[in-house]
Order: sequence, then C-alpha cells, then structure tokens
Amino acid sequence: MNAYRDQYAQVFKNGRNVVLIAISADVDTALASWARDADYPVLFASDTGSAVGKAYGAFNERYKLDNRNLFVVGSDGKIAYRQTPFREIDPTAYTELGAAIGKLVPADTTGSH
Amino acid sequence: MLATLLLAVTMQAGAAEPQALAVGAVAPDFALPGATRYGTLKNPVRLSDYKGKTVVLAFFFKARTRG
Repeated sequence: MNAYRDQYAQVFKNGRNVVLIAISADVDTALASWARDADYPVLFASDTGSAVGKAYGAFNERYKLDNRNLFVVGSDGKIAYRQTPFREIDPTAYTELGAAIGKLVPADTTGSH
Repeated sequence: MLATLLLAVTMQAGAAEPQALAVGAVAPDFALPGATRYGTLKNPVRLSDYKGKTVVLAFFFKARTRG
C-alpha cells in the first residue's frame, strides 16, 4: 500500500477522475486506523464476508483472504485492465497500471472533477 | 497412469486458484463499509456511485502487511 501512496500523484492522477478503492477482509475501523497511521490517501472498503472478493475471483479459499488482485473498471462499468496477481514489488507493474489508466483518463480531462 | 496422475494434480492445483474476472466483464457492483485516513465512513462504498469515472479496485491480503 505504501507504493500506492507514494505514486498516487503519478499513477492515480491524485484522484482526479480516478478512484482507488483498496479492498480487504479487515473491519473498517482497522482500515481507518492503518490509513491514518500511514497517511494513505485512498478509499478503503471492508469486505469482511469476502463476498466481493469472491465475486471478482480474488478470494483465496486456502487462506480465507483476498489475493493481491487489481482491476481497473472503465467509465462503462466494465473491466478494462487487470493484474492478477498484482506485482506489488515490481516497478513495471505501476508503469503498466499508469499506462492503462492513462488510456481511460486522457490528460486533458484530469483537471476537472 | 502418469498422465492421469499429472492431470489430477493439475486439477487440484487449479481448484485452489480462483478465476479472476476477465477484461471486458461487467464489474459487479458492491456496497461495503468504507474508511479513509480520516475515519470510517457513514455511508457504504458503492462501485455504482462512481459510474462514469475510472475506478481501480485493489484487493489485498490484510491491513498492516505488505500484501
């Protein structure tokens, strides 16, 4: 999550027309506490029943947790890009993600909300 | 015999791996309790609230881990 925070401006265009939702099976209070301590600028969602993880095929039955999977949903509501699993420690993963977002959010529209 | 054994092992391994949604699939809507660095949210986080925007859904293992 630190990499998401550190590259929020570049990869996620500071949240302009791009919404980053980080999802795990943690309760919302744990997510809020972690976000505050680490100053994460992202929106967290608490999937305690793992229903959403299962719906996206991200749920790991063996460990009863969500795998590190990433989906980019376009403005049409369809999955436009995915990294499954997301290669968190690989710098090229963020380059590829940024390029995928760039295709969906042209630079000339990022200045408006 | 060996081929049968290999197939069985492959199927078992495959069964443990979930099938992630493919590119082009409609992203299922959801409503989940939300949180930010400023605290928990009063209203649930809904994917449909962001229709018309690009949304990145980043699933991860657990808070306070590298995952």
